[in-house]
Amino acid sequence: MKTTRYIILFLVLLQGGNLFAQSRFVKDTLDVSTDSVVVTATRTERKLSNITVPVTIINAKTIQQNGSLRLTDILKEQTGLNLTSGFGAGIQLQGLNPDYTIILINGEPLVGRTAGVLDLNRIALGNIKKIEIVKGPSSSLYGSEAMAGVINIITDATMGSPLTIGLRYGTYNTVDANLETKLQTKNFQYQGFVNSYQTDGYSIRPNSNSRVRTPIERYSTTQQIKWDLSSKTNFVLNTRYTNEQIQNEIAVENNGVTIYSIGKENIKDLNASASLNHRFSKNLKTSLRTYTTTYDAVQNLLTINGLPYRDVLNHNFKRIENQTDWELSKNLQAVFGAGAVWEGVKSSRYDSEKLRKQNDIQYAFTQWEWKPSEKLTLIGGARFDQNTQFASAYSPKLSMLYKLNPQHQFRFSIGQGFKAPDFRQLFLDFTNAAAGSYSVFGAAQAQQVIARLDALGQIGNLFPNYYLLKALKPEYSNGMHFTWDWKINPSSAMSVQLFRNDIKNLIESQQVGTYISGAQIFSYINIGRAFTTGFEVEGQHQFNANWSINGGYQYLQTGDKDQIAAIKSGTVYTKNSQGYSRLMKLNEYVGLPNTSTHKLQVKLNYNSPKGYYLNLRAIYRSRWAVNNNNGNEVFDNGDVFASGYVTINSAAGKSFKNGLSIQGGIDNISNYIDAANLPNLPGRTFYTSIKYQLQQNKN
Amino acid sequence: MKMNLKKVAMGLGLSIALVACSKDEGTEVVVPVSAITVKDLAADTVTGLGLDGRPQSALTTTYYSLVDNKVIASTDAASTKWDIAFSSTKILINGGTSGPGIGGAFVYVGLFDALKTIPADSNFATDNSNAASYAIPLGSGKAWYTYDGLTTLVSPIAGRVLVIRTATGKYAKIEIISYYKGGVTLPATASVNDKLFKQRYYTFRYAYQPNGSKTF
Repeated sequence: MKTTRYIILFLVLLQGGNLFAQSRFVKDTLDVSTDSVVVTATRTERKLSNITVPVTIINAKTIQQNGSLRLTDILKEQTGLNLTSGFGAGIQLQGLNPDYTIILINGEPLVGRTAGVLDLNRIALGNIKKIEIVKGPSSSLYGSEAMAGVINIITDATMGSPLTIGLRYGTYNTVDANLETKLQTKNFQYQGFVNSYQTDGYSIRPNSNSRVRTPIERYSTTQQIKWDLSSKTNFVLNTRYTNEQIQNEIAVENNGVTIYSIGKENIKDLNASASLNHRFSKNLKTSLRTYTTTYDAVQNLLTINGLPYRDVLNHNFKRIENQTDWELSKNLQAVFGAGAVWEGVKSSRYDSEKLRKQNDIQYAFTQWEWKPSEKLTLIGGARFDQNTQFASAYSPKLSMLYKLNPQHQFRFSIGQGFKAPDFRQLFLDFTNAAAGSYSVFGAAQAQQVIARLDALGQIGNLFPNYYLLKALKPEYSNGMHFTWDWKINPSSAMSVQLFRNDIKNLIESQQVGTYISGAQIFSYINIGRAFTTGFEVEGQHQFNANWSINGGYQYLQTGDKDQIAAIKSGTVYTKNSQGYSRLMKLNEYVGLPNTSTHKLQVKLNYNSPKGYYLNLRAIYRSRWAVNNNNGNEVFDNGDVFASGYVTINSAAGKSFKNGLSIQGGIDNISNYIDAANLPNLPGRTFYTSIKYQLQQNKN
Repeated sequence: MKMNLKKVAMGLGLSIALVACSKDEGTEVVVPVSAITVKDLAADTVTGLGLDGRPQSALTTTYYSLVDNKVIASTDAASTKWDIAFSSTKILINGGTSGPGIGGAFVYVGLFDALKTIPADSNFATDNSNAASYAIPLGSGKAWYTYDGLTTLVSPIAGRVLVIRTATGKYAKIEIISYYKGGVTLPATASVNDKLFKQRYYTFRYAYQPNGSKTF
């Protein structure tokens, strides 16, 4: 058995050497002993203890000791975050879909979402310094998509050693290799990183019923330069490039029609940013940043009857931005920023894959931080985004921190976030010939397209919704977060957070008419209203120098406000066990699909001064609704649920004085599999890795 | 073909009782009719999977008499012996382009039991196959079912009653309970084979008012 071999290798590795010492790592959020720096919450460097909004920091040490390779691996073990599995692996934050969390690398957004989901497996974790997660609407600083929160992946050119190499091998022939180099002079730092990831692992594609194990090859590289031009001016350049090859063996089923296809998918993702930073005085500094990114995905398939199928998505995003930080007095600091974005998408699902659909955005933001006393910090900010393709958006936010005493502090924030209509909702021009020839037209051109079809005599009926089609408005969320941090004693801490998000203007696809043939025509309309609310509890305890435990729990309630109103008015029906219809009661309503009421994770850590470490992580997620089975379009107890489940992961390793470190791990020890609902969760997997870090001269 | 017709009432006339209405002044008299459940009525069942991936069948139509609570031979398709007919998810009413009767239908949103009297302003539509327009509209989410492309299951919509004018101008109401053999919609996890071969079996309950009134 292959697996037996891995176990033996794992055990052999555990017998190995004897030291672990790495001081370059930043501390975790829950580490009570130190105060790490956060940049995402205010777009300025602030100590975590002075931050007014809920922030989670995941440091490189945690990522490494957990054996996390891709961004998904570490995010699924965080409080309030759940993985979603349609269209790649996305992240759901406090019950809000992946569409509503912006993913940044060093403060610059990643693009290339399929149906709103950005596949987080694209992001390798090999060289990152830390991940910051800000919960709550943050559009006042980041604009569109920062509705549920912000996930910022931070790398640092000054980090690392002259040479680091790492190699990992695991189940499904998963091979991950890293090479990291660093050059450093007094004024100049360079860090280069190359990662190669290959697996025979699992893959899921849109509408696919068969979750075939598909080979994936991913290459990514990042290059960073930091150059101090003078003591007051520096220049930072970051580039990142990833290239993915995915072998597809797809069975797409639609209206009873199954189409088998084979082929390749190739995804290229390039990001480059440059910033020039200058400090005029102790109180005034400014930063000029430019950023460009391109996401290019091509799927070439050959269906079983020999018909080629090609799907192309090319998304580019260019931005120029200035941010100026001004300290007016010791108690009052201001941030001013403004910028412009040019964004465009070419897709074979639009009217022409050769024509780029374009949206330009101009924006400005400001944020004021006032500290009337040592105990109280107040932050107010707002951002205005003007768009060429849809209505403009205004995003205010207020937050405060009150430090009652060294043990207790309270944070409160309230803000408005937004998500701009995406290109698909504006420009999609898609007719599914395989499944009844239904069409979906983006809202920006649906009326023209349908009018043109009507002139050709192809339109059967137009529904009242057709006349409601107009320029889409952004989706808005009002979020409120209240957090209580309690440092119980030097070795224990906990925090409690209450949250509520109210969302309006949700963009949903709606039928607007029919063809003469009776086939449906859909477009997008702002109609939905929803909420997510609940609480999170996190805690940590250090038993002694070696052992510690930490964990988190989230309780979540969600709902579609229009559906709740309909249930209350007695117009929603469900079926009883005999299949007879009856009125649905409000207490049968389970809220939005794909949301779980409970999520709990517990992590037990062992770290010895000699460099041994061991961790055991258990993650529980309660059931979630996946399918409406009784035809009322409202999720209730009679519908189809994915079962709640537990996964247990463990990793152990050690570091030697000479820079060598080894690790072995098992993910999903209990071998939990739910192929239909958790296609991203393979069964039990084993891995082992070895890493060598050239020791730096101490000078 | 297994067909299990559960005859709740043998002679419909016998089951009709005169009951004083408890409502208001109590002077009105209603004539309640019993509901009849028809189980696993085969409607163009699947014979196999075609090369194109579509289910294959003999493209048959099952004709049904609500008056006599029985299947009518397809040789009588051009008669008024049948009231309603089924062929996969398509439902025909004996009238318009579908038959020589004067049948029509509309979809009532509400509960089967709560529909005591057909509203006076109801608009009965008739089949017109030339314009692909049917009294019971075709398609997912249109009339009585939704189709889920991911699970490939057909689920009857809760709170939908098909109100029927029969071939001879009497009235009936129908609630569709299941589209799968056994009378229960298959679970999402059912095998591909079950989903393919257990579909197109209608289980429904109906009430037929033989006296010509619109009250059940």
